[in-house]
Amino acid sequence: MARVKFLCDADRCIECNACVTACKNEHEVPWGINRRRVVTINDGKPGERSVSMACMHCTDAPCAAVCPVSCFYTTADGVVLHSKDLCIGCGYCFYACPFGAPQYPKVGNFGSRGKMDKCTYCAGGPEADSTPAEYAKYGANRLAEGKLPICAEMCSTKSLLAGDGAIIAEIYKERVMKRGYGSGMWGWKTAYADSPTG
Amino acid sequence: MPSSLSHLRALCAAIALLFVFAHPAAAQLTFKPTAEAVQEDKLLNALKEGDKITGRISIPDTMASSLIQPAGRDWRDFQRSKLPIIGGVAILGMIVLLAIFLAVRGRIRVDHGFSGTKILRFASFERFTHWLTASCFVVLALSGLNISFGRVLIMPLFGAQAFATMSGWAKIAHDYLAFPFMLGLAIMFLIWIKDNIPGKLDWQWIKQGGGILANGKHPPAKRFNAGQKGIFWIVIIGGALMSVSGWFMLFPYLPANVTALQFWTVIHAVIAMLFIAAMLAHIYIGSVGMEGAFDAMGTGEVDLNWAKEHHALWVAEEQAKGRAPSKDGTHAVAAE
Amino acid sequence: MKSFLAALAFAAIAAFCVSSVLDTIQQSSSVAYTTSGARVGDPGKNLIGPN
Repeated sequence: MARVKFLCDADRCIECNACVTACKNEHEVPWGINRRRVVTINDGKPGERSVSMACMHCTDAPCAAVCPVSCFYTTADGVVLHSKDLCIGCGYCFYACPFGAPQYPKVGNFGSRGKMDKCTYCAGGPEADSTPAEYAKYGANRLAEGKLPICAEMCSTKSLLAGDGAIIAEIYKERVMKRGYGSGMWGWKTAYADSPTG
Repeated sequence: MPSSLSHLRALCAAIALLFVFAHPAAAQLTFKPTAEAVQEDKLLNALKEGDKITGRISIPDTMASSLIQPAGRDWRDFQRSKLPIIGGVAILGMIVLLAIFLAVRGRIRVDHGFSGTKILRFASFERFTHWLTASCFVVLALSGLNISFGRVLIMPLFGAQAFATMSGWAKIAHDYLAFPFMLGLAIMFLIWIKDNIPGKLDWQWIKQGGGILANGKHPPAKRFNAGQKGIFWIVIIGGALMSVSGWFMLFPYLPANVTALQFWTVIHAVIAMLFIAAMLAHIYIGSVGMEGAFDAMGTGEVDLNWAKEHHALWVAEEQAKGRAPSKDGTHAVAAE
Repeated sequence: MKSFLAALAFAAIAAFCVSSVLDTIQQSSSVAYTTSGARVGDPGKNLIGPN
């Protein structure tokens, strides 16, 4: 099976936040939970770049490595998912995550901040595929329907790419060759540096 | 109205002129997006250790402005490889040391045997404070160790679901028992600080190894000897560090800075391992390790001979104040 | 023994009291991450569960 990844071509991202909105709508994400967000670097200065960022589904994911109850698992596609039945809301994944992906329903004291939520790569969770129980805990399961994550599919400038890591990296490289510049595959070094194949 | 219309017309003309003049000038410029755009590589290379790439976001969650923080991977490596070594060496090492000590030295006896006469060592409020802190500490230590090592040591025994349920309750206990623990620490500090100021006697006590290595040799000590003072300061300083780092973890949205949180979790974990190791020694010497020692915190009254051997100067002081039996015979009057 | 049991009871009661106090200042993300520019009605319970 393919190793799926996200790639944000920052030279194409226009900070329209359609990916964020599409994600919110697809999974009925409540206000305050941000599975995906757009961060603008050097905002207002020449050469500013916007990057759409969510869980990068890292190789040797830091969240999975530090979870005290081992609630994370990696699918055959390389998607990092977690079980909300096991999660104790300790926040360790948030400390470890290089991309700020884990989100919590409550923001007061640590003791009762609820179960963690994060981007599932539109792949649901451990519940049976495309069931109401899965939707209530993890949102839609587009991968089970043979579709890619909604954020990348919606992207009007095709800045955000999702799919087989090798293929989307090839698309990005072709773009960089053609236009003569690129600001980098944001997050890839941090997310996938631990894998020998990149 | 006519005047404002004419203003508008003048403005439009000015803008049109601007385009006429500006356009050829812009065409002559060779705009190089590569040269000016921020590069991920450059930002990553410029990052200091433990720093992160941040930007502007349009959502109110300020922590979401952190785009990439590679330090998360270092934190993962600390949790996965360094912490088990620190914890293992400190805690297992202390258990091994204590076992060797028990095998070699045996239980430290009261040299002159029990006199049968008791002297009040800790009043009921002192014992209450001690056990308040101690019982909280035991739960905090076990639930903390469960967070750090339960996944490897305990989860295979019970299965993921049962372990997660147990850990959920352990986390709640850890969070909320932290408060009575901190209260106990504060009271202990206030009621025992006056007896725990290091002095010249302590130096002699340390030079003689506390008399724990040889039978029948007891360097004089006041209410607390140098070893006990050491435990006191370990508890106070260690407890203060645990409390401060714990506050940041209890309210993670107050610092709202993930790298600060990583720092405090590391402090919390490392101090915890050393703290637990030190407390194991304290528990050992207060129970199995020394005959007659447990009574001090058990009933509050210790045997007069035990007190004379370990705290000769304190017994003399108490006797001078009339709060202790002079020899054996009359029972001590409880201190008010 | 009496001091020990009193300490255990006090610790349990204190922990319970602290938990109830802290729960009253607990904020949901939908409230904490709202500005004057947004009017959030019922944020819904999907993904975050009933609590």
